[in-house]
Amino acid sequence: MSKRWFASLFVMVLTLGSATAQSGTELRFCLWSEPKTFNPLLVQDDSSETVRYLTGGVLVRLNRQTQQLEPELATAWKTSRDGRTITFALRQNVKFSDGTAFSAEDVAHTIQQMMDPNLHSPTGDSFRSGEGKVETKVLWADKIAILFPAPIAGLDKLFDQVAIMSAKSPKKERAVLGPYYVAEYKAGSHLNLERNPNYWKHDSSGHQLPYIDSVRLDIQQNRDIEILRLLRGEIHLVNSLNAEYFDKVIAEKPALVHDAGPSMDSEQIWFNQVASAPLPAYKKAWFGSTNFRRAISESINREDLSRVVFRGHARPATGPVSPGNQFWFNTRLQPHPFDQKAAMKRLEQDGFRVQNGALRDKDGNAVEFSVVTNAGNRYRERMATMIQQDLAGIGIKLHVVTLDFPSLIERIARTFNYEACLLGAVNIGLDPSEQMNIWLSSAENHQWNPGQKAPETAWEAEIDRLMRAQASELNEKKRKEYFDRVQEIAWEQEPFIYLVNRNALSAISTSVQNAHPVVLRPQVFWNIDRLSLGSEVAQK
Amino acid sequence: MAKHVAIILVTVLLGGLLGATLIRFAPGYGVDEQELDARLSAGSIEALRRASAPDENLFLFYGHYLKRMVHGDLGTSRTLQRPIAQLLRERLPDTMKSVGLGALLGWALGLALAIPVAMSRAWLVDALASVMAGILLCIPVAVLALLFVLTRAPARLVIALIVFPKVFRYARNLLVRSAALPHVLTARAKGLSHAGVFVWHVLPLAGAQLLALAGVSVSLAFGASIPVEVVCDLPGIGQLAWKAALGRDLYLLINLTMMVAVVTLAANSASDLLGGAFGRSEA
Repeated sequence: MSKRWFASLFVMVLTLGSATAQSGTELRFCLWSEPKTFNPLLVQDDSSETVRYLTGGVLVRLNRQTQQLEPELATAWKTSRDGRTITFALRQNVKFSDGTAFSAEDVAHTIQQMMDPNLHSPTGDSFRSGEGKVETKVLWADKIAILFPAPIAGLDKLFDQVAIMSAKSPKKERAVLGPYYVAEYKAGSHLNLERNPNYWKHDSSGHQLPYIDSVRLDIQQNRDIEILRLLRGEIHLVNSLNAEYFDKVIAEKPALVHDAGPSMDSEQIWFNQVASAPLPAYKKAWFGSTNFRRAISESINREDLSRVVFRGHARPATGPVSPGNQFWFNTRLQPHPFDQKAAMKRLEQDGFRVQNGALRDKDGNAVEFSVVTNAGNRYRERMATMIQQDLAGIGIKLHVVTLDFPSLIERIARTFNYEACLLGAVNIGLDPSEQMNIWLSSAENHQWNPGQKAPETAWEAEIDRLMRAQASELNEKKRKEYFDRVQEIAWEQEPFIYLVNRNALSAISTSVQNAHPVVLRPQVFWNIDRLSLGSEVAQK
Repeated sequence: MAKHVAIILVTVLLGGLLGATLIRFAPGYGVDEQELDARLSAGSIEALRRASAPDENLFLFYGHYLKRMVHGDLGTSRTLQRPIAQLLRERLPDTMKSVGLGALLGWALGLALAIPVAMSRAWLVDALASVMAGILLCIPVAVLALLFVLTRAPARLVIALIVFPKVFRYARNLLVRSAALPHVLTARAKGLSHAGVFVWHVLPLAGAQLLALAGVSVSLAFGASIPVEVVCDLPGIGQLAWKAALGRDLYLLINLTMMVAVVTLAANSASDLLGGAFGRSEA
């Protein structure tokens, strides 16, 4: 009897012990800046995006690992044949974090808010397909149809970014449907996210998700401190590492780091081709020449950039789509090879020649130009220096100018007082429609020559046609054909000289379980509701 | 007193105007990095540009700003998208704590070393303290802050190490000079204790000038708080000022300029007034 009693007591103590260990689990990591907004429709910066991802409930979610859409608050969805209407069947008996019931009214409210032209929601702008109003039709409490004025290709995928807000809750955007809600925010210091008690998702054994009770996001601008804290075990993960920190962590704790391969982000250089730019006419002629751009491209050793600047954690880039984008990457294309002899041949076709070690154009002007990049970005500064050395090999003198970000943007987007620019592109979505504002010649982000009234070159006109065609085509195979051709034209004409695709590098404490870092953002915590913490819990 | 208040008011208003002018004509003013967001439509980019574009001349803008300020509206930070009054309320206590603690410790350490050096001619203490002060003067604030981060030392103490060498060197020289005056030497020759000589003969001579240094050390501590808060990630006014400068946040920078001007001028005026009162009572 007493033996059994002791055994029961022992089991009870063990159970209590394990329960205590499991309860109160807190995942810690850092935001690099303060979130600018908690309104999911106004999210633009990375920190607000992180908070939205951790707290927002969406109708469909793009699985960051398989790159396929999965049902979330919508159990099923259907896009009409004309691509203008999408109908969602919604999950029943779902509640917001404050207990308010979720229904089709909330979806309608969110869409109406998002498409309000006065809000200027970046999320909403992705859905703007043409003139006219977006309409919502609540069919039942759990079914809604959304009608757009013009077809939108890849429409369902865009809903991955739309966090549904409550139409009725007094807490407004603070009432959420995601795994966590914002429980505390101390400006400049930290955010505490607590587990959403009404989160609808359960694991296969019926256990309510998420497994981790709370997430503490420390606002930490200094990356050195962030890495120190990771190495000391004070935080659990760093979602995105640069190559230098990656090597630093690997030297001390190799089990922590992960290289998921080429990310969606690219580094590129482009020449100013704006007709009204305050540049000498002969320079405008160089920058407008395909031969000139191709020659510059072939004179840059991308392998060296990857190896030296990014310490092997980058790949030579091919074009606007990274090989990490499994469906849309054009596999027929290869990065431009480093071949300065071929580059010289192209230049000779345009009348350039080398005299006393300096390249001169047909009118005798020495070929020299400046490249602007943002100050403080060590990788871009190093890349610019290496490109400077590469171009010296064909007699071109390159001047590197570093500017702080506002000054840089003023030059490249307002005054056009620059010759070439080296910057990076961050691609959040996979779908080519999200690059419309880059490739359309009339767009403001058509960096080399923005806001054209009519396409100034035949190849830009062709890109315009193809981008519009893919945006209104619902057949994925045909869309892929169109966008493959866009990638080919970009490869041939090189308005952007793509240099490298940085790898998606991250670091995760060994105490975090179920973590599978991927190339899509958020690389580490994309499956936040499935992550759990083991015995090695971070200490403050 | 009224003269001091008037000087503070005029200086703060001129400082604010000067700050506004510098920001307004700085390259990159009125530009928002969100313009490069490829998701934004042409309409949204245009709206962004309109929102951040300077729409009135500088003097009109400043006049309107002052009018709103009088009614308690300090404006909204463009980069952080939050009311400035709220930002200051949240961050000022942290900076005041750092600056107050740093200035206090810096003074305590500086005087604790300067007094024995002056009164007992402790050459070893003098040599060690002078070397320490010299080294600290040579190290840039940001590097010192980084060392504290790496060694996990409390970051607020960095400000103390910035204030200390200046206080030590100034106080040491002042006290040594005062201690060498004939009447002090006579008092000492008559057998008055070190403490007695210091309290009755040296301190009254040096007090007014030390108080003047106190005012300056507040500005020094405030100045040091910017790199310290940036490097050590302390959520205070210094960090805010850095962000505001990088983002060309006009409203935020004007408010910060005026606030820092008020604090430093008030500290300097207080030390002037106290010094004057000290000098008169001695006379």
